Amino acid sequence: MSQPSFTNFIIKRPWLRRWMTPLANWYTDAAGYRKLGLRADDLIPEESETVELALKRLSQKEAYDRVFRLRRAFQVGILSDGSVCFKAARMLIGHSDVPYLTPIIREIEAEKKEREDLESMVIKRRPA
Amino acid sequence: MISRSSLGRITQLNFKQCCYQPANRRGLAAAVSESFKFQTGEAAGVKIASRDLTGPTTTLSLVAKAGTRYQTLPGIVDGLEKFAYKNTEKRSSLRITREAELLGGEISAYHSRENLVLQAKFLRDDLPYFVELLAEVASKTNFTAHEFHEEVIPILTLHHQRFLTSTQDLAHNSAHGIAFHRGLGAPLHATPSTLSKYLTEEAAIAAYSAAAYAKPNIAVVANGADPSILSKWAGEFFKDYPTSREATILESSASKYYGGEERTDHKSGNSLVIAFSGSRSFATGSSYKPEITVLAALLGGQPSIKWSSGFSLLSKAVSGHPGATISTAHATYSDAGLLFITLNGNANAIRGASAEVVKTLKSVAAGEVSKEDFSKAVALAKFRALEAGQEITSSLELMGSGLIHGIKPLQLDEVARTIGAVNVEQVTKAAKGMLSGKATVSAVGDLYVLPFAEEIGLTFLIRYNRYLAVSARVVRRSLKEGPRLQAERRGEMELKFAKWEVSLMSGE
Repeated sequence: MSQPSFTNFIIKRPWLRRWMTPLANWYTDAAGYRKLGLRADDLIPEESETVELALKRLSQKEAYDRVFRLRRAFQVGILSDGSVCFKAARMLIGHSDVPYLTPIIREIEAEKKEREDLESMVIKRRPA
Repeated sequence: MISRSSLGRITQLNFKQCCYQPANRRGLAAAVSESFKFQTGEAAGVKIASRDLTGPTTTLSLVAKAGTRYQTLPGIVDGLEKFAYKNTEKRSSLRITREAELLGGEISAYHSRENLVLQAKFLRDDLPYFVELLAEVASKTNFTAHEFHEEVIPILTLHHQRFLTSTQDLAHNSAHGIAFHRGLGAPLHATPSTLSKYLTEEAAIAAYSAAAYAKPNIAVVANGADPSILSKWAGEFFKDYPTSREATILESSASKYYGGEERTDHKSGNSLVIAFSGSRSFATGSSYKPEITVLAALLGGQPSIKWSSGFSLLSKAVSGHPGATISTAHATYSDAGLLFITLNGNANAIRGASAEVVKTLKSVAAGEVSKEDFSKAVALAKFRALEAGQEITSSLELMGSGLIHGIKPLQLDEVARTIGAVNVEQVTKAAKGMLSGKATVSAVGDLYVLPFAEEIGLTFLIRYNRYLAVSARVVRRSLKEGPRLQAERRGEMELKFAKWEVSLMSGE
């Protein structure tokens, strides 16, 4: 369940990148999750086998931090009326909004794809 | 029923030819010296050996001198064994499995107290693929955290649970522990403390793998492959084997026999192991004692003929105690050995039978062995030694560990000759030596019934003769100079000298 992304497409074209970066920054800021102290990967829906397995494969520290961020986000969401932003978290998050879960999900998807490919393999005998 | 006359004359002729005079008749000696020999060599710094037995299949083993006696943490060998054929830098474990299946091959890994073995069996033409695979598994396994937690640990846990239910495995393990303490005495499989305390991270296994699969620590041995072809492919695929591993060497202190008694309570079964110090393996060259192998065959216990209790001394001795099965084995290692008698079954039967076992051993020590029994035992011991050399898996491991230790490789014709040359006096002396030394006794099961070592006649105390010898020596030594010299000339003294090099006894 990795999210579709145009990142590579855009990064390869400097002119497009220059054009897109302010737009992307505005968009992520407007999305609001950073204001709650979350990372983008925290928003990936958990309700799938792949993501469940990926969550199990997180290191202990990563898993703990994830739960901590989620709980903090709930509490900030309840306490604030929307105008009070979570400033400290936003300062922190600007640098640390890194994909920690997506690489693992990609790995699991690659494993699944390999299995499917091998399962549907057709053996061609080389002409002797 | 087909009468003989109803068969055609030609058939009858054929029948006579095949049975009375085999066309390609070969004596045993010829077979031994020709076909058991491995051709040894080195390719890309890795020791290789191969014997080209004609046949459509090949068995290839990568033997690493990294069994449990060399372990750096308890259970780490188990972990490394279970990590064999998992994801490598080049391909996933799924792909390894599927490719091996496609080629009709069979891949496995196992470990003993001294060696860790990666083994592949396949059709002769697929040799290059499997040489590459073994080199890759040994040098490029990824040791990922998720495989460790999702696959290795659950399998180890199941393995451990199975081990805990087998009283015989527990008894053998504890006997080795009592006999050799550390090194050879280390448990063969993971124990409870291992999984909870020591084997918690894959990083430790990765570090052990670097030492275990280091170039000087491995040998590649093949059965049914052309030596020159094996050398060619090994040279190619072990070329980029990491050289940084060449510095690390796994060490284990020289084995010493201790002996003693251990009793473990167990609810599902009863086992009793009575063990004595044995002989080191014949593959290690010097100081192999063939008489102990003959003694093991003489004691026996397991019939080698179906539907009979067998004619070995122990099976005769314990025939009055139905419900107990008995077997004798001689485990040989590179610098020590253990002769062990295993009794399994009903606790009361074991109690009765074990007393008979000690009685039998004492009668052997007293020289009460019939000529017929003895010659049967020699023949059986010889057969077993030759069979072990012919049997593929065990011979590959023996050959590989011989190569790594840098000693003369498997020479079975010689072993058969030394076993054949054993006489009754040697066996009697060996049995006497065992009884005067400290025995190893391990009981697992119903401890209310299972006997103590003293109860079955094995004593750990100094015998009266030994006591006399010691006190006489003390008296002699406390004499004045003149009489002391005279007395010491009368006193029998023995001096034995053995030089130890890298945990192996060099030629005496």
